[in-house]
Amino acid sequence: MPSTPPEAAAGRCRIEIDRLRKGFIANGREVVAVDDASFRIGDGEFVALLGPSGCGKSTILNMVATLIAPSGGAIKVDGAPVTFGRPVRHVGYVFQKDTLFPWRTVEDNVGYALELAGVPPAERKARVAEAIRQAGLDGFARFYPSSLSGGMRQRVSLMRTLISQPEILLMDEPFGALDTHTKLDMHSVLLGLWERQRQTVLFVTHDLGEALTLADRIILLSARPGRVKQDFRVDFPRPRDAVALRETRQYAELFSRIWHSLGEEFAKGRSE
Amino acid sequence: MRRVSTLLWQIAIGLGALAIWEWGWAFHDRLPWLVPDLLDPYFVSKPSAIFQQFLAMSCLVGRDGAWTFATDGAFARCMGKSENNLWIATYVTLRNTLWGFLTGVSSGFALGLLLGRSDRLSEIFYPYITAFNSIPRIALAPIIILAFGIGDASKVVTAWLVVVFLVFFNTFEGARSVDRDHINAARLLGASEWQVTRTVIVPSTMAWLFASLSPAISFSLIGVIVGEFIGAEHGIGRMIIEAEARGEAAGMMVAVFVLMVAGVILSSLVRRLQSYLLRWRPAQTAAGT
Repeated sequence: MPSTPPEAAAGRCRIEIDRLRKGFIANGREVVAVDDASFRIGDGEFVALLGPSGCGKSTILNMVATLIAPSGGAIKVDGAPVTFGRPVRHVGYVFQKDTLFPWRTVEDNVGYALELAGVPPAERKARVAEAIRQAGLDGFARFYPSSLSGGMRQRVSLMRTLISQPEILLMDEPFGALDTHTKLDMHSVLLGLWERQRQTVLFVTHDLGEALTLADRIILLSARPGRVKQDFRVDFPRPRDAVALRETRQYAELFSRIWHSLGEEFAKGRSE
Repeated sequence: MRRVSTLLWQIAIGLGALAIWEWGWAFHDRLPWLVPDLLDPYFVSKPSAIFQQFLAMSCLVGRDGAWTFATDGAFARCMGKSENNLWIATYVTLRNTLWGFLTGVSSGFALGLLLGRSDRLSEIFYPYITAFNSIPRIALAPIIILAFGIGDASKVVTAWLVVVFLVFFNTFEGARSVDRDHINAARLLGASEWQVTRTVIVPSTMAWLFASLSPAISFSLIGVIVGEFIGAEHGIGRMIIEAEARGEAAGMMVAVFVLMVAGVILSSLVRRLQSYLLRWRPAQTAAGT
């Protein structure tokens, strides 16, 4: 499948990655994690960055999030180059790891960004209550994260990021640690939220099923060093049903096509 | 069932120990191999004598052996006779303990946070901190009494000195081990440097601070008592030294029991405070602290 020029598919370009490179020094020699990766993401696109473990997909995401400094190349968000350590205001980030603040209750975690921004308590309270309702966490507002299940915690994480209504959302295998059923639940929750807001999303995963369920486009990375191998369009109609979608023929066809290509990269990763 | 049996055992052991203490010495001449010399009432007194002494020292019973609350003004007269009576001594000791605790905890926390978050400062001060920490704090008590006099100030300073290092090291460790991902999460959610400090570094370090509160209050009490041993006008420590000088075992024992009760109450209050402040922790961890 030829790669589709993303600008043609969606409106203006939100994220532009140009010959991005990242090398680490390990045991005195340089290990290249990401090499010459280039792609663009248009407005409102949901893009999955798919690849085997260790291919540098999280590294790319973290460079966009300004958590890691690139060794070469350029990243632009809305046309402006990003600087390491200077997060862009309207970019939200969801971690793979549970990073909820354990000393804050669910509502205080969700309202954290509003608190930082100095949103008045009354408005904050209303928005937090609405977010908690959307995430299906009614009745848990006063709970501490330690008494919630993994899936619930990740929903709180998601709402903590979404509450400030970021236009661009970076997600680093957010559901990687969840069991299959919880993961499917989370896909439904995320699809429901996204289909209303249509943020621009860059979603890192090694799970092809997840990528197909959620994304409009799948960028397949090669094994280390990570390069863009292929760029697939996922044209399933929306709104999607995370569970029913998996039963369809289109899903199965696209799955097997990408699976083959992904499998080659997994094999390369193993033989290394 | 198990709880009842535990309780019965506990009561039986307590009563047994008291009985040996009270009557054990009577068998010393007949069974010297069974009853150690240490049980001599000259050293350890007897529960009944200690209780009598407590009633007298606390002015609940007057010299005449009558309850002071039965006669108007008898309690106040008795209190007036001794400048370091049990009530005043307890009050002074507890007040100084509390001040030592509060000043030690707050300054230890501030220092720990400052050095824990600054690699440069901790690098510079490292040898001094290690050196000071190797000094047994109590060894400094005489110097403190010399410098601050025999009033309350020297006791508070001694207690402070004992507490501040304990809290400092806990806070320091805590400040160094703040989860990087929590800091990153806060930054990505729009926190400024100051907001990161206030909303992430301080609360996560607090957990370490709280864990040190329980030993801190015990240490503070130890510091005050040692200070009072060396030189004081009031306080339980002075009361023990005076009773010792007079060879009054019962008087010393009363003071020790008052300290025991005070210690139990203080540490249970601190533990309550601690488990309230750390209520966000998973249940099994909270129970362990």
